[in-house]
Amino acid sequence: MTIVPKRLGVKFNLKRQPALQPDDILPIFQRWIQDHSVGGMLIDVIDYKHVPEGPGIVLIADEADFAYDLADGQIGLHYVRKRDLPDDLESALRLCFSRALEAARALEAEAPDDLLFDYGCAKISFLDRMRYRNTPETFENVRAEMTEILSDIFSASVTLARAYDDPRSLFALHCRVGGGDFNIQS
Amino acid sequence: MTTWKEILKDEIPPEMGMLIDTYEAQMELRKQGRLDEKIFAEARLRKGVYGQRYDNGQRHDGVRTRDLAFPSGEVVKGPDTLWDAPGMQRIKIPYGGLTAEQLEVLSELADEYSDGIMHITTRQDIQLHYVHIDDTPDLMRRLAAVGITTQEACGNSVRNITACTLAGICHDEVFDVSPYADAMTQFLLNHDDVQDFGRKFKVAFSGCAGHACGLVKMHDLGLLAQTREIDGETLRGFTVFVGGGLGTVPHQAKVLAEFCREEELLPLTQAVARVFARLGEKKNRNRARIKFLVAKLGIDEFRREVEEELKTVPHDERHSAYTDTLGGFTYSPAKAGLALNGAPLPDGFDAWYRSNVYRQVQPGYSAITLHTPLGDFTAQQGFQLADIARKYVGDNIRLSVEQNIVLRWVADADLPAIYRDLCEIGLGDAHAGTIVDITACPGTDTCKLGIASSRGLTAELRTRLIEKINLLPDAIRELKIKVSGCFNSCGQHHVADIGFFGNSRRSGNHKMPHFQVVLGGQWQENAGSYGLAVGAVPAKTVPAVLEALTERYVAERGEGESFQTWVKNLGRKEIKAMLQPFMKLPSFEDNPRYFSDWGDSRVYTIDDIGVGECAGEVVSLFSMEISKAESTQFEALLALDDGDYQLADEQAYKAMVLAARALVRTKNLDVGDDYNTIVDEFRSRFYDTELIYDRFAKGKFARYLFKRHEGLPERVNEDYAHQIIDETQLFIENVHSAEQRINGVIVG
Ligand code: HEM
Ligand code: SF4
Repeated sequence: MTIVPKRLGVKFNLKRQPALQPDDILPIFQRWIQDHSVGGMLIDVIDYKHVPEGPGIVLIADEADFAYDLADGQIGLHYVRKRDLPDDLESALRLCFSRALEAARALEAEAPDDLLFDYGCAKISFLDRMRYRNTPETFENVRAEMTEILSDIFSASVTLARAYDDPRSLFALHCRVGGGDFNIQS
Repeated sequence: MTTWKEILKDEIPPEMGMLIDTYEAQMELRKQGRLDEKIFAEARLRKGVYGQRYDNGQRHDGVRTRDLAFPSGEVVKGPDTLWDAPGMQRIKIPYGGLTAEQLEVLSELADEYSDGIMHITTRQDIQLHYVHIDDTPDLMRRLAAVGITTQEACGNSVRNITACTLAGICHDEVFDVSPYADAMTQFLLNHDDVQDFGRKFKVAFSGCAGHACGLVKMHDLGLLAQTREIDGETLRGFTVFVGGGLGTVPHQAKVLAEFCREEELLPLTQAVARVFARLGEKKNRNRARIKFLVAKLGIDEFRREVEEELKTVPHDERHSAYTDTLGGFTYSPAKAGLALNGAPLPDGFDAWYRSNVYRQVQPGYSAITLHTPLGDFTAQQGFQLADIARKYVGDNIRLSVEQNIVLRWVADADLPAIYRDLCEIGLGDAHAGTIVDITACPGTDTCKLGIASSRGLTAELRTRLIEKINLLPDAIRELKIKVSGCFNSCGQHHVADIGFFGNSRRSGNHKMPHFQVVLGGQWQENAGSYGLAVGAVPAKTVPAVLEALTERYVAERGEGESFQTWVKNLGRKEIKAMLQPFMKLPSFEDNPRYFSDWGDSRVYTIDDIGVGECAGEVVSLFSMEISKAESTQFEALLALDDGDYQLADEQAYKAMVLAARALVRTKNLDVGDDYNTIVDEFRSRFYDTELIYDRFAKGKFARYLFKRHEGLPERVNEDYAHQIIDETQLFIENVHSAEQRINGVIVG
């Protein structure tokens, strides 16, 4: 069975460029800490919007980071689980998807007409170069299992592709869902 | 399961590997409550592993202070510093020099252990934030495999040694100081004479007197390149400055030696370190930097002490041997130097060329500055930059004290192409060295001592200034702004034209974030003079204050008058009057905006300020050294568990020798590392004199050491390994109690 990486991330992109600026996200995240709006032990918010294609605004929690992420020129909600990952890949993925989804939905609720996520695809990152080098072989090794797990999570057929070619980059997969939006419970 | 330790075992230099293993064992002992928290804190800091804001488990969320329930519960990594709380890892980059491969590894680490961001500090280091302490040993191993250490990046030790980013390519330098900074780094790292300081010790090299780059006058030890004609021969050496420093009470360094020949540099430094260790303040850390010692003794008396000390510095081959290797320090550019060839230039190139390109002394080559906003760049940019470096300059990458990246040895003909490539990765910004290129310390973002948001303010000023940079007169464009989050001046606000440092004031029942305005500091002449504090203004008024100051300067300055001179001529009183309108504090009800800091929507509070780890607690030399013996004994236990009895014996033996050494060093600092010498000294000083004797067991525990030192038994098996580890434990306990008896020192 495939080993769970040290850290695992799931990113949902926005459907379109919002009117809301990264600056507007910072107070939202700070309010989430006050109100416990998303699960996790929320600690602090850090502002990296000055960095081109960087992590944007990050809500730091003990076990995960939630970023209003600007990487790859795609604004999105990036959930990175840093610790306490279940030790089978399926549960780990389910956990990350449900937390990412919860956060994305909470963000949508802040500006319902403006912030719209595309749940028809996701980027899944394996933040662990020891176990997951970004190579075609790594992809082949996990492809079947990932496809199965993700089809189950989405209740639809999924297509997977490596997100980056550069072998130094993180091993990450773009997952596109065949039948419209996905239907996992957060 | 595979580990980084196994994967990298052949790539990590054994010495570095051992230091990391010891630290990992210390972590384990701390978690089990078997290593004192203060001693561990100092050991951790000496590995560059810093605490971060909120690590005491409390954070004000804007409404109330909340407990942060970290899963590790009460386990601490230092006084009031919870184990699981995110921390900062400082990574030493000597004189800012990086290879492409090192940059790639740093990027990997930022991705996997931090938040994807590398931060360049004001002393040419890299910092990663929000790192979990459990990840730090592997992080260090991955760095060690590419020749980077975090050893002594923090704590009461010799910090990163800095030098001009233009060293070796500069028109004005006397000679290239890089190989000297390199040699000094290697010489001082883990040196016995730098383990017993009351505070940190910062060393900087500069190639010339006139420019700023090396900032030698604001350092504990500053070395300024000089040559002298002696008997018809041109000799290289340094003017040695000592006792400079910023902080709450900034001091300009004093000249210790007008000319110190290169072969005298290392022994002289060693003598300074020994004097500082011997006479420097240890109890009150607010007065423990060497600047206070120099001020207390006066430079003449300090010099006399150093000269006396120099006579006691033991002979060391490396003192002179390093000069033979200086010639080996050469640069290999990736391309031949070629002039710009007249091909069409990309948009924006001219502006970038004006602010970011420096023509090297070597014809056909330039150094270019990559402006990283607030010193931050992403892992992805790191990889792409490594590619760009390989393509155009090879390993000629440096980090600057202005929190930028400098690529050296770019062939002039490549400038348009490299500019295009840099723009592609978001590092083609044209404002390096201008008023937009503001320096900032971590401030309230991550620093426990932060009072106001230095980074929030910097980001705001940057955004506003970029919008109008092209309209600004040259006199303003060239000004330097530096921001610290509190009076400790990590952002070097004393040496900027316009500096700010955070403080707070009360208005009604609320606190309001403020910045003290510090004007007219000098960056040139190696930070030649410090600025004038002229008054504190609400944080939210700083952009308007800046505008008022710069506009008046432009309107009133005499021909060629520098900002510094203008400030001096205008006088503190007049400037204060100018700031007066900004100092009126609105009530919370009238203008709540004033009661939040930049980049923070919470109502401002100072309740989050914690106890800073600008250096650890002052822990005695003995405590630090005996803790290494204890962790080595712990490693012996691990080896025993693994069934590796040979290794268990080696580690146990080493632990006993380290314990003996810790005690010997309280009487003879120069005992060195040789096992025979250590055991002989231990025997004559503590065993023959019966000082080590236990009340009941007498010299029994010491004889465990002597027995093992005489040789191994015939069979090294499990029973033997068990026994020697137990004996080691007893011997270490014996050394502990003897030390307390003999020296009357309370550990910690
Ligand atoms: C009483 C405590 C502290 C004092 C007196 C102090 C003082 C200083 C000074 C004077 C400098 C800069 C100038 C220089 O010498 O080159 C500096 C550098 C720096 N300080 Fe502090 N500092 C303290 C605590 C902290 C803390 C708690 C942090 C945040 C974690 C911090 C972060 C930095 C950084 C990032 C630098 C640039 C450094 C480097 O790479 O060495 N400092 N500190
Ligand atoms: S100046 Fe103050 S706020 Fe800034 S890093 Fe130093 S101690 Fe922290």
